[in-house]
Amino acid sequence: MKHLTPINKKARLVDQAVEDGHMDEVVAMQVVVGCASTMDPGWEVDPFGSVAALCAPMEADLYGCSDPCWWPAQVPDTINSYPDWNAKAASAQNDWRALQSVFPKE
Amino acid sequence: MGPRRRDSGGTAPADQWHGVLFGALAGTMLFGGAMTIADDAFAAGGGATDGRALIQERCSSCHQKEADGTLHRIDHVRKTPEGWTMTLFRMRQFHGVALSEEEQRTLVAYFADRQGLAPEETAPYRYVLERRPAVVEEPVTDGDLSVMCARCHSVARVGLQRRDADEWTRLVNFHLGQWPTIEYSAQGRDRKWWEIASTQIPQLLGTKFPFKTDAWTDWQAAPKPDLAGRWAVAGHRPGIGSYGGTATVTKAENGYRVTYELTDAAGKPLSGEGRSVVYTGYEWRGTGTLDGKPVREVFAASRDGSRLDGRWFLTQQDEVGGSLHALRIGGTASAILGTSQSFLKAGTTARITLWGAGLDRGEIAFGPGVSAKILSRSPTAMTVEATAAADAAPGARSLTVGGARTDGFAVYATLDSVRVEPDYAIARIGGNSGPVPPMTAQFEAVGYLNGPDGKPGTEDDVRVGPMPASWNVEPFNEAAAQMQDAKFAGAMGPTGLFMPAGAGPNPQRQFGTNNIGDLKIVGTVQDGSATLTGSGRLISTVQRWNDPPIH
Repeated sequence: MKHLTPINKKARLVDQAVEDGHMDEVVAMQVVVGCASTMDPGWEVDPFGSVAALCAPMEADLYGCSDPCWWPAQVPDTINSYPDWNAKAASAQNDWRALQSVFPKE
Repeated sequence: MGPRRRDSGGTAPADQWHGVLFGALAGTMLFGGAMTIADDAFAAGGGATDGRALIQERCSSCHQKEADGTLHRIDHVRKTPEGWTMTLFRMRQFHGVALSEEEQRTLVAYFADRQGLAPEETAPYRYVLERRPAVVEEPVTDGDLSVMCARCHSVARVGLQRRDADEWTRLVNFHLGQWPTIEYSAQGRDRKWWEIASTQIPQLLGTKFPFKTDAWTDWQAAPKPDLAGRWAVAGHRPGIGSYGGTATVTKAENGYRVTYELTDAAGKPLSGEGRSVVYTGYEWRGTGTLDGKPVREVFAASRDGSRLDGRWFLTQQDEVGGSLHALRIGGTASAILGTSQSFLKAGTTARITLWGAGLDRGEIAFGPGVSAKILSRSPTAMTVEATAAADAAPGARSLTVGGARTDGFAVYATLDSVRVEPDYAIARIGGNSGPVPPMTAQFEAVGYLNGPDGKPGTEDDVRVGPMPASWNVEPFNEAAAQMQDAKFAGAMGPTGLFMPAGAGPNPQRQFGTNNIGDLKIVGTVQDGSATLTGSGRLISTVQRWNDPPIH
């Protein structure tokens, strides 16, 4: 990290975690079953097992997840599996209410 | 491997069946218009005799016949009913296979019976089928499965499938073809992912979860139980309490009908009814109502058909539900399945109901220092007025009725500690006029005694039981405090139920972030003049848009 300088709070937290030797503590599956903790950062939890370093609000980058099938177990991928998932929601931030779960409860 | 109970570090003799590690992992599913594929696993199954003909007609144009007469891929996989339901969903979604509801039901029943999993094979992973929330799986210690598979899926999803190595390889190929950016993800781009995924992993899975097993061969040959009859029932609803009574199961077309006559811990009647399909000879999948609410049931029958164990949950909110344990009535054996409360405070009297079978015979005994006056008794329920002397010895007790016994009872004078159970849970934002409902989280404040070593939080602690509590939400860490997570993420109700805040970006929050939070859930119990607190952690996070029956 010596060639990179953090410029915001989140980046400083990551920097601090590296300095403190905490990066190796992150182990997949130390979270509630079914949560994705990886893939930069994770869907439900961040690499530190919390939520502060998630991409949030997730609507800001939701289609950056669904288009390249990032977190495909949590977010429908529009590249192959669910091409029309967001057809009625041009803006995730404004139209998120139009986005259906691909497995509704009933 | 297997689930780790995060809710109790010590022994928990007080109710093995009153498990508090509940909740669900997923919704059931609907695919396309009015076709409810979830009902394929839960509602009446079609005749399996038509299954093979249907496969030939609808599947074999793509799944070609191999030299040995088997169909490519189809005949080389074993799965649960939910697993086969998800397979049919994928065939429709990815390959346009349009099946009618009847055809789907027929195929799920056919596959689950012919290529299912033996009871021993599903036993380690039933928490996923039962959709229990707040389960933390143990990391897989052999090979790379935790990183390769379980960083997106549950281990259970993998462990509930059986394939040989070449068929596992095809599943890896499918992953790369369907989600080609997988190689660029964390733990994909930073190592020789394809080499690991295409060589080591299929070999490991083929060894660990092979297509042919002795357990499956034995189960295929074993007689399958007839579940019709009367059953004694007991269970626990986290945050609400215990319940018990009887169930009557009768044969119906393609399955069973069931009616429940139950009461809650206070004696209030709870009625229910439903119908079920039993897949693979033991996998009970029911749909019906309980206390007027639509529910689904995931139970496993014992090999001899004398027991049913599992969980039921609300159709629309599968994290809300309860355990269920049932014992066939009719034999000479007596048993205590559950009690309306699992403890008695020294120097007090309480009305306690026991549920089970054969309870109309023999004396009731709570052990030294506790007297019991029988108020009513029948073969399946006994209500007593129990009084613990002021000097009754605190600790775990055996409660007996004639030859029936449970070790899940405790007498206490003062509580030594309180634990919030589960100690680590997840909730999800939802609602706010959006289509995805919120996922709540239920907590209980459970009283404990220190046990022989006199120290709290150790293996010999005695679990007394859930206590009335007041609840508070605090930020779990500094970042949560800075983001005011406790203010925005949701609120605890008086019964320990956390209700997440609404979905969507919140312009009132910093960065307009979602109403997510990393929270410390604090339960406070007043025990006489003493005030005891316990805490758990709650990750209240974003919704899933992809919510299949097995995560």
